Amino acid sequence: MTAAPMIDVRGVVYDYPTARALHGVSFTVEAGAVLAMVGPNGAGKTTLLRCMAALDNPTEGEITVAGLDTRTDPRGVHAAIGYLPDFFGLYEELSVRQALTYAARSRGMSPADTPKAVEEAAARVQLTDRIEMRAGELSRGLKQRLAIAQTIVHRPRVLLLDEPAAGLDPEARRSLSDLILRLAGEGMTIVVSSHILAELEDYSTRMLMIRDGAVAGGGVVAAGSGARDGLRVSVSLTDPPEDLADRLAAIGVTLERQEGDEVLLLAPDGEDDAALLARLIGAGLKVRAFQPTRLTLEDAYLAEVTR
Amino acid sequence: MNPEFQRNLWLEASPRRIAWAGVVLLLIYGAAVTLTRNNPYGAFPALGGVGAVVFVACAMLWGARASGNSILAEIADRTWDFQRLSALQPWTMTWGKLFGGSSLAWMCALTGLLMMVIAGVVGGVVGLGVTVIFMLALAVLLQAISLGAALIGVRKARAEGRTARASGVLGGLIIGAILLSWVAGSAGFQRGMGTEGFGALFSANGMVDWGGRLWPAAGFRAVALSLFAAWAVVGAWRLMRLELQMQNAPVVWPAFLIFLAIFAGGFMLRTQGLAAGLAVGSLVVALSAYAAAFAEPADRVRLRQFVQFVGKGDLARAAPLTPAPLAPLLIATLLVLAAFATSNGSLMTPELGQAGALIAFLLRDLGVIALFRMGERPQRGDFSAVVALGLLYGVGGSIGWAVGREAGGALFAPLAHAPLISLMSGLVQAAVVWALAGKRIGLSAPPSVPASVPAT
Repeated sequence: MTAAPMIDVRGVVYDYPTARALHGVSFTVEAGAVLAMVGPNGAGKTTLLRCMAALDNPTEGEITVAGLDTRTDPRGVHAAIGYLPDFFGLYEELSVRQALTYAARSRGMSPADTPKAVEEAAARVQLTDRIEMRAGELSRGLKQRLAIAQTIVHRPRVLLLDEPAAGLDPEARRSLSDLILRLAGEGMTIVVSSHILAELEDYSTRMLMIRDGAVAGGGVVAAGSGARDGLRVSVSLTDPPEDLADRLAAIGVTLERQEGDEVLLLAPDGEDDAALLARLIGAGLKVRAFQPTRLTLEDAYLAEVTR
Repeated sequence: MNPEFQRNLWLEASPRRIAWAGVVLLLIYGAAVTLTRNNPYGAFPALGGVGAVVFVACAMLWGARASGNSILAEIADRTWDFQRLSALQPWTMTWGKLFGGSSLAWMCALTGLLMMVIAGVVGGVVGLGVTVIFMLALAVLLQAISLGAALIGVRKARAEGRTARASGVLGGLIIGAILLSWVAGSAGFQRGMGTEGFGALFSANGMVDWGGRLWPAAGFRAVALSLFAAWAVVGAWRLMRLELQMQNAPVVWPAFLIFLAIFAGGFMLRTQGLAAGLAVGSLVVALSAYAAAFAEPADRVRLRQFVQFVGKGDLARAAPLTPAPLAPLLIATLLVLAAFATSNGSLMTPELGQAGALIAFLLRDLGVIALFRMGERPQRGDFSAVVALGLLYGVGGSIGWAVGREAGGALFAPLAHAPLISLMSGLVQAAVVWALAGKRIGLSAPPSVPASVPAT
């Protein structure tokens, strides 16, 4: 029996008064995944994220987050998630400590647990040394960190980030990537939306493409440097046989792509390079070149676009 | 402590701001004492008067503005979604904002009230307790209306794709002032619907005729105002629930309308009987329908969903989507029918006939409002609807009067001179307008326009 997904979106339609923004979107996200939600500006990513955050109700369809229905239990969903909108604001007159204290208390944390949670959240985003500073005195990058700290101070199970790297300098982006990797390492399920693939590359394990308010391609696919769905190998073959896919399947290898003599293979996670090469040769394939590789978000994006 | 209240205290009532407010108040009270040092009655009467002014200025003006701003500032600072995602209960959020946003204003106002009470006790003022209750209730009423108006403004703005503005708060305050005039002018209500009540606001003399008996005016107004203040707080709480994505069953709003009908109708009971009381109640409830129609977000999708769920018989899902004007329309209609039923033979008196025609015209006007507010540019819908109604009543009524005197005028307004003509004309116009509005809203078909909208 498979575990229930952490996020389950089923047939979501969202209508603005003058147009339909989402057309029956469906997908699931497993617990612990870092999902890159990609697509052009205006594709419907923000609308979808707001529905997942139980800030807006879909016209049709259902969304469950951490097992809670966004329509029937929006407050439960709010307590289970952290959501950072693309254009966020801070209480500029409050100190970092006050802002985090309010965030923790307003998200249901007890007064006794709050001081420790505040210290932890500040440490996670490396704001401990600035904890008594006013939020308005922080730089753009530090404000972004404070905003993220506010969204994770209550230790949510799901984190939704909408264009989190927008407006950040390269150093701040690197810092954000490191933070997301740390949070993912702690088991948090994270959805990050962006229209810039490069900024998602470092930490994503899955990708979902949204275009014109609908899921494009084949839904949620493995992608990004964090993907752990197997060993990908780029192989050049001399005279690849007609039944290549069948021969590969017989030795437990999937043919992901073939362009003439060049093929992209996917072997099960944990597969040894040398053992795989030996099995390919053993299957009668004339291997000319063998290069373990990884599927970048851009590869996955282009593969989905041409699907 | 309520986290929302505490956050507002951090922002609004910082030690520095409290210190500055203390200095200003000391200067004001010091000036009052200095200027009246030769007064044979001492400084207390002047301090009491200044205290009253401080209370009105701080609690009713500054406090009301601060309560509304506790929402509008969140919108301007882009922190409202963060608040909507909190786990705080709507009631916690409501009172945290209501009294936290105006915390410094309350601190200053209470010094004024204290001065007033001390001056009153020293001077032996009769009914001081009732006056204090009246003033506190008035302040809470204004602040709660301001908060509620801001919440209405936020909902409307979101549905209409624009940013919430302070004008929503202002509109709410005006509505509150009208309500207030009814309460304050309850003795004068019988003479002319209470707009003259402002004059009687601060001079609660005589008796009030309500519910078939006479009541001391000061006590009556204090109690009535306290009830309205409680309703205003409840209203703000219900609106906060909607903002926090919770669903409201259509219970509290109809209950308030019934309260309103009883309150208004009670003034007629002793002198003009039950039928007149019911008719006046229906009039007040009908007026509430207009307020509800403009306060509701111009959301075609929501209306379509409501109609679809009703069509499927799924009343559980339809109930939270019920348009706000529907309840006053139904209750006003029921009250008019009840007035007919209790009129003891005089089934078609001009007044009752006019009340029936009023419902027909209300139905038409709600259609006009829906027609203009549910267009492609809902941002301009409110203004367009007001202009359209003005033209229908003003220009249409004038032309009708010029052509056919009472009968002509009755085609465009619910007149007592020709109630049947008004009734029939109102119903025909309502049918036409609602047919147009239904087409514009797209009630018969779900939206299917394939388009990607900038996700904002």
